[in-house]
Amino acid sequence: MTDLPKASKPRTGPRPVLRRALDAVYDGAGVLGAACLLAIFAVILAQMVARWSGLIFPGAADYAGYLMAAASFLTFAHAMNRGAHIRVSLLLSALGPRRRWAEAWCLAFATLMTGTVAWYACRAVYWSRKLHDVSQGQDATPLWIVQLPMAAGAILLALCMADNLVTLLLTGRDNITEDDLPDQPQADQVQGE
Amino acid sequence: MAELGPIAVFLFILFLLLGSGVWVGLALLGVAWMGMEIFTSRPIGDAMLTIVWRSSSSWTLTALPLFIWMGEILFRTRLSEDMFRGLAPWLARLPGGLLHTNVVGCTVFAAVSGSSAATLTTVGKMSIPELRKRGYPERLVIGTLAGAATLGLMIPPSLTLIVYGVTINESITKLFMAGIVPGLVLAAMFMGYVAVMSRLAPDFTPTPEPAMTFGQKLANSRFLAPVMALIVVVIGSMYLGLATATEAAALGVAGALVLAGAQGSLSWATFSASLMGAARTSAMIALILMGAAFLSLSMGFTGLPRALAEWIGGMELTRFQLLMALLVFYIVLGCFLDGISSVVLTIAVVEPMVRQAGIDFIWFGIFIVVVVEMAQITPPIGFNLFVLQGMTGHEMNRIARAALPMFAIMVVMVFVLIAFPGLATWLPENMRSGPG
Repeated sequence: MTDLPKASKPRTGPRPVLRRALDAVYDGAGVLGAACLLAIFAVILAQMVARWSGLIFPGAADYAGYLMAAASFLTFAHAMNRGAHIRVSLLLSALGPRRRWAEAWCLAFATLMTGTVAWYACRAVYWSRKLHDVSQGQDATPLWIVQLPMAAGAILLALCMADNLVTLLLTGRDNITEDDLPDQPQADQVQGE
Repeated sequence: MAELGPIAVFLFILFLLLGSGVWVGLALLGVAWMGMEIFTSRPIGDAMLTIVWRSSSSWTLTALPLFIWMGEILFRTRLSEDMFRGLAPWLARLPGGLLHTNVVGCTVFAAVSGSSAATLTTVGKMSIPELRKRGYPERLVIGTLAGAATLGLMIPPSLTLIVYGVTINESITKLFMAGIVPGLVLAAMFMGYVAVMSRLAPDFTPTPEPAMTFGQKLANSRFLAPVMALIVVVIGSMYLGLATATEAAALGVAGALVLAGAQGSLSWATFSASLMGAARTSAMIALILMGAAFLSLSMGFTGLPRALAEWIGGMELTRFQLLMALLVFYIVLGCFLDGISSVVLTIAVVEPMVRQAGIDFIWFGIFIVVVVEMAQITPPIGFNLFVLQGMTGHEMNRIARAALPMFAIMVVMVFVLIAFPGLATWLPENMRSGPG
């Protein structure tokens, strides 16, 4: 079954500056991601209005696509710490108190994988800039600009995974908290175990 | 299959990563990486990035966050109360009485939301306490709700259908159109079951509803009209070819915002909560889609899909036998994975098989959705069962037993779909072609 990681207990007491700073960065990027979503909405409305009034909005589809990538990548880390990414937790919940080690393995693998993605994403941006790659679509945007949010989001996600791993190893608990809402409507996922 | 060893290693890594609890999208990326490592000598990282970028920046995909957002906005309105109040007077006289509000309510909400958990929560929040108060048998209340909520995945907009369409490159508009009639047929079958049970079950003794005049009924359901109008605009604009799926989604978001604003439930808090919720859910699905895109590239190099398709082809199964095998396969898979993950994980392997058997991909999309819907209400683990457990506090066993007849009805639905493929294919074949 796929479901959310176990909810951690609410934290008490003052939280260190580094912790607060990192969380602020993840959430800030998440807000930027949501802003991209809003921009997708605006672009598509504009495109429709343009078509109805006989105008053309060149490259609208391409812009919406870039914004989609930016929205996803920038929100990854924030979504991670809110427990939105799904996983198969059958084994994890069966492990009971030894769950920590399995969690550590998952986070270690995730750090490695997202780190790799981040590395190659940065390379892609570097080469796009160096070779002056331009979009094939009508928009002719330099690719490195629209790929930049992808690289930034990938780095953040890798950082978030490493952060969770270190926190788990040091304190026995990761930074993942459930959404405060009683029910997360859209994701078909389970809160309890 | 020539290279049995490496393929076994590949599958073992897949199960190891997924089973040990690695987040689905990352597990798929990892397996795909290992597959490339074993089967090719290409530069893996750059190939991965190219495909990750292409899959994440696709225009078709933009329908996904917008439809999610639309559902999130409506979820935060008073739709739940309005739905029950508006539907109840019309349905009270049918055999089975207000139990039909579960089915019809789910059908209506399914048409504005793409997920079955959202459908279930929205409808159940109001109907469970109201139906209990009137003394409807608990078993039927829970069962019909669990079953009917799965319509959220089938009636457009459906997240699973968007993901399926993006993965195999089929028109999302066509898939949406294909889902309408089977969704309504399934809803009718649920309602038929309710009507029959109301005659057969000895404990079916609910308090009858007070009689209402036609005017009162209309007055009670005036709040439903805007929602109905929204559904007509979203689905109608796609059917008439006035808007693509993404554009219809944008219209839906605009309509939902207007509706919430008119109701007075649109504040900065609900607006930002709905937007952030949509961003998170769509990021979650985007990560899985990225993993799936790289995995299908990698799968191509393993030769697994082709080998499997040839193997299946060699067995000379009839189309029916193949579909039965897939039915069982997806039900088993659904015990461990959610619908979207099981679709993206398997499609690279299943696609060549289905293509070889000459099965229509639009039709197959509806088939696969009905089958993964069933997994939502099957023990040991089905998502709707968990949501219902949270809402009612009953034991899982009891909920699963109550949902079992619904599961049976859905199995019947699969056979109906196989016997009358036109249910799914007629509408998409007859709609006007879209703006592109």
